[in-house]
Amino acid sequence: MNDTIRVAVAEDSAILRDGLVQLLADRGFEIVAAVSDPAALEAAIDRDCPDVAVVDIRMPPTFTDEGLHAAIRLRERHPELGILLFSQYIETRYAAQLLARDAAGIGYLLKDRVADVSDFVDALVRVASGGTALDPEVIKQLVGASRRSESLSGLSARETQVLSLMAEGRSNSAIATSLVISEGAVEKHVANIFTKLDLPVSPGDHRRVLAVLRYLDS
Amino acid sequence: MRADVDDAGLRVQMRFRGRERVIMVPQAHLDHFRGTARKILREPFTARPWRELRFFVLSGALECLALAFILATMGAGAFLAVTFLGLSIIAASVRGARGIGGWHRGLARRFLDEEIAEPDRFVARPGFLGWLQSAFRDRTGWRVIAYTFVKVPIVLFGAWFAFGTWLSAFRYLLYPLTGGDAASPHGFGVSAILPPGYLSVSDGGFLHTLFVFVSGVVLFFLAPWTMRVVIHVDRWLMRNLLAPDAVSERMRSLEAARAHTVDASAATLRRIERDLHDGTQAQLVALAMRLGQAKEKLAAGDVDVEGVRRLVDEAHSGAKEAIIELRDLARGIHPPVLDTGLEGALATLAARSALPAELTVTLNDRPTPAIEAIAYFCVAELLANVAQHAHALRATISCVQHGRWLRIAVRDDGRGGAQPSLVGSSSSGLSGLADRVQAVDGELHIVSPIGGPTVVNVDIPLHA
Repeated sequence: MNDTIRVAVAEDSAILRDGLVQLLADRGFEIVAAVSDPAALEAAIDRDCPDVAVVDIRMPPTFTDEGLHAAIRLRERHPELGILLFSQYIETRYAAQLLARDAAGIGYLLKDRVADVSDFVDALVRVASGGTALDPEVIKQLVGASRRSESLSGLSARETQVLSLMAEGRSNSAIATSLVISEGAVEKHVANIFTKLDLPVSPGDHRRVLAVLRYLDS
Repeated sequence: MRADVDDAGLRVQMRFRGRERVIMVPQAHLDHFRGTARKILREPFTARPWRELRFFVLSGALECLALAFILATMGAGAFLAVTFLGLSIIAASVRGARGIGGWHRGLARRFLDEEIAEPDRFVARPGFLGWLQSAFRDRTGWRVIAYTFVKVPIVLFGAWFAFGTWLSAFRYLLYPLTGGDAASPHGFGVSAILPPGYLSVSDGGFLHTLFVFVSGVVLFFLAPWTMRVVIHVDRWLMRNLLAPDAVSERMRSLEAARAHTVDASAATLRRIERDLHDGTQAQLVALAMRLGQAKEKLAAGDVDVEGVRRLVDEAHSGAKEAIIELRDLARGIHPPVLDTGLEGALATLAARSALPAELTVTLNDRPTPAIEAIAYFCVAELLANVAQHAHALRATISCVQHGRWLRIAVRDDGRGGAQPSLVGSSSSGLSGLADRVQAVDGELHIVSPIGGPTVVNVDIPLHA
């Protein structure tokens, strides 16, 4: 099912890079580049135009947030490129910077998530096809940060739960499974969220993204 | 009697009580006399005496103002001491004294080429009460006040001894111009004790005028030296009271050592985080990834046994690598062997060293743990340096207790030329070691001539 997805991997730890390449190849992805620094990543993407890039945030030369800056630059040059940021820690600031413009085709996951191979592969496929994949840890921090915000205070506890799962990039059916409620109930919650956040009527996915952004902005 | 001068010196031959005697003055002594005479004759025509004279006058004037200021403020402050206003006036007096000290230093710099170190700037705690407290505790200000009081006798003595000599010299030199009107001119200060009038062969007349003039000439050549004596005392006083004192210097060096220590420990934490992030954490993520893959392969309908075996093999070796990395890292933070004592720890280091190392330890008392750790990491770092840079065949390590101090010496037979700035960055290498050692008031000396051998001595107190 994944045989058409072309991936670039940027990760400075050789062990992890080799492991990722092996795992993705095993799952039928096509690896167009496996590099260890941001400059090589940008060159590879300009050359090969993959569907999605897996980018470690902390890379040479300064080992702080090179990967993030490379990702932001790449988004400007290649708006259609999906980017899955990969990190040992979750920093809310990074997520906010990354999602400042558009949440489509963006993922931000803890490296640990790779242990659950199927979930990780699903997230990568979602990001490659223009969806979002945010780590539950990111969501938790953002929810924590938005506690005091006004715009989300009108939402009920259940609606907040649904919204945070939406922010992770999940579909209605996935949300229904996760919360053990019917898909119809999820749709009702989503509609309520749209109304309460005063989002304009437009194609569903777009409103979803706007709701998530509102959520993340707060 | 006969005297002749040749290369050997002055030779005087004479008859004394019927016997022929010879007095020899060696050339070196003659040169010395000539040099001294020349210096005395030239001195009034150089800039220095005149600058010193100006310094004396200006600093004397400043002294008068300073004394008036301090006496007035301190007097008023003491009078009103029971009130808040009195305390404020005293604090202002101490603060003002700081400024006076600055002017004195400025005069010394301008006229005496005496560079007196500036004390630290006055830093007040926040709020008026904080300012008051800081001013009262300002050692620099109080020392200027002390200087002002101690300077009083110096100025008085200087006026009598040196300034008086200058004035007398001018008065006597100008005496012929005034037509010798006064019967006998009076000198000033010390010169007044012996005015030329007492010695003069006559009272008035040409001979008297000449005698007074000659006295003026003599005083003119003596005056610079009287002033030199006074200035010398003042210089000494300024160096001791207007420069930062030993306590401030000590505070400054402690603050610097503390800053180094804080920076070094932050750098150490950063290094540990980096090592964990790049090493163990990455290993564990890769391990989890492989096990996750293997788990999914096992859950699939037709099990790819070969693939699963490969993944498990990789996971197994990854786990072993992670264990080794973690152990090395933990040992770098605190070597467990140190818990059994410095001697055993150093023996382990010497045994693990990349080149043969001979160890001598003479310890009567056990140092505190912090000192043991510093000693251990010093030896570890120095041995690593020897192995990396020195091109040595062997090293000797000695760790000997001298009373309350511990002297560690690491010697190698390498090519020498080691310098703190060249080896390692500020947080590691020799300069990093020096910072660590200074943090406990210790010292690190490197003797490393080009061609070797290199000896690094580290002296640290037994108890930090």
